[in-house]
Amino acid sequence: MLDKPLTEFLEQGLAIHIGTRNDAMRPNGARVTAVRVEDQGRHLVAFVPSAATPGVFDDLRANGQAAISFARPTDDRAVQVKGELISLRDADPSEEAFVLGQWRSLIGELDAIGLAALTSTNTWLLWPCVAVKIRVTAIFSQTPGPEAGSVLS
Amino acid sequence: MSLGLEQLTPCFQGILPSMFFTCSSDGTPNAAFLSHVEYIDPSHVALSFQFFNKSRRNIAENPYALLRVIDPDNNQGWALRVKFERSETFGPIFDRMSLRIEAIASYAGLKGIFKLKSADIYLVESVEQVPEEPGRQERWSARGRRQPDAVFTIKALQELSARMTAAANLDQLLQSILSGIKEYFGFSHSMILLAGEKPGTLVTIASRGYPQGGAGAEVRFGEGIIGVVAEAQQPIRIAGLVRGMLYAYAAKKRAEERGWQPQEAVRLPGLENPASQLGVPLVVAGELIGVLCIESETAYRFHEEDKNTIQLLGASLAIAIQNMQRREAEEEPEAARAPAPLRTASGKTRQVAFYRSDEVVMLDGDYLIRSLPARIFWKLLQTYKREGRAEFTNRELRLDKSLGLPDFKDNLETRLLLLRRRLDEKAEDIRLVPVGRGRFALQLGCTIELVEKQ
Repeated sequence: MLDKPLTEFLEQGLAIHIGTRNDAMRPNGARVTAVRVEDQGRHLVAFVPSAATPGVFDDLRANGQAAISFARPTDDRAVQVKGELISLRDADPSEEAFVLGQWRSLIGELDAIGLAALTSTNTWLLWPCVAVKIRVTAIFSQTPGPEAGSVLS
Repeated sequence: MSLGLEQLTPCFQGILPSMFFTCSSDGTPNAAFLSHVEYIDPSHVALSFQFFNKSRRNIAENPYALLRVIDPDNNQGWALRVKFERSETFGPIFDRMSLRIEAIASYAGLKGIFKLKSADIYLVESVEQVPEEPGRQERWSARGRRQPDAVFTIKALQELSARMTAAANLDQLLQSILSGIKEYFGFSHSMILLAGEKPGTLVTIASRGYPQGGAGAEVRFGEGIIGVVAEAQQPIRIAGLVRGMLYAYAAKKRAEERGWQPQEAVRLPGLENPASQLGVPLVVAGELIGVLCIESETAYRFHEEDKNTIQLLGASLAIAIQNMQRREAEEEPEAARAPAPLRTASGKTRQVAFYRSDEVVMLDGDYLIRSLPARIFWKLLQTYKREGRAEFTNRELRLDKSLGLPDFKDNLETRLLLLRRRLDEKAEDIRLVPVGRGRFALQLGCTIELVEKQ
């Protein structure tokens, strides 16, 4: 479902968040440090900081519904991927370099638009992570404008 | 740890994007980026509704949402549990949010496309720290920014006021204002635009901190932050202009792809890439005198208290400028004194061409000035050529019907000041020099060739 150009876009180091909801239909959300597209674009692994609010993980275990938003700071191109949980696991130490490398790419993007002074995020708890694997069910454009929300796939 | 909403105002500047999490009635979550969250009061925020997107549809089905914002001063993330209360399509909250959006939209040629449909008001039910985004202990501050201090601010306003009071003419007054803003408040890039000859326009009359002075640059009402401030007669502060512009350009690209045709983006005076702007209307008794605009290449340079201080200053600036304009217009010419010698005598021949139908003066083929200042300059040069006379009074210009000055509020002194500024910028060897109250001299360090064209 996620083709090669879209995979390259999602994995380049973007501002990423995951949204979930509880049984009372109240939303929860957390930052995502990095993502990896797997299985020819059918699955996506979101690396969510273990320090994130427990509600997000509880929601995923309870109903499996997830929405992951991606935005590139330099041009506000944005995409949202909807999906259903396949698995939750602690990220492996061998994945740290990949995850934090993607995060550093995002910081580079922020630098490019002059937000470096405001974005020294070295206090943020971006690792260790929980690897949230989802099956991709829908993809939407979220780039600001009259077609925000249109279906990409 | 939780905190009151009123202590989170830095989060609501639009410097860093916010996140908005919603859920539809069938249980599908949604996560969307927001360009701006507006603080309303200790228990409410407002979100801008510009495009009818999934978040808005979800809220119609399920009013509960989660907002995540980041404090740009220390990078602490905050989570706000909110509930939709109402949409406002007019009133002060709508106007404030709409002005900001319009100012940004006009830069991108998106006025009318990129506009606020409603200000959606949300009750904030709780505020919590985001656990994975703990902030720094020290708070970030723009270089050169002083910490808010009421005593300092009042003292600075007093000293600036004293400096303004000592000004002998409009030129000195405008310079004292801009130099005082730099000296007392640390704002390096500032400009004052006064009402232009054409209705609905402003013209740059004084500036400070720019490589080129920009005197004479025009702004139409509704264009950029200056034009929007003029149109609404309300102050605007934009702390995160870079982010706002990127958002606007993204929307513009989408609109163009859909076949919409945004207007051409306007080129306005000021910094090439400002990151923060503060515009304050100069108003006396409901009449717009002009606009004071302060800019910075640093994001988040101006805080809310800066806007309040400059707005307070703007009220007295407007009165001072209007009083000076009236005084100069009513003054009797005093006896001429000898002008300072011209510093630059090039000895070369310069061609001054007057295009009568466009009312534009070109100097050696380059644009110099237009409209009334152009007509005045042409008149002065013709008189000099014909009679050899180089001294003039404001009164004789005011009485000269061929110049077409309006009978009421002709703003002659402002137009003369503009002409002087343009000459200072464009021709070192042609100057207009004050030689006494209501009297000035034309100084030439070159030979002038006059050409009139239709």
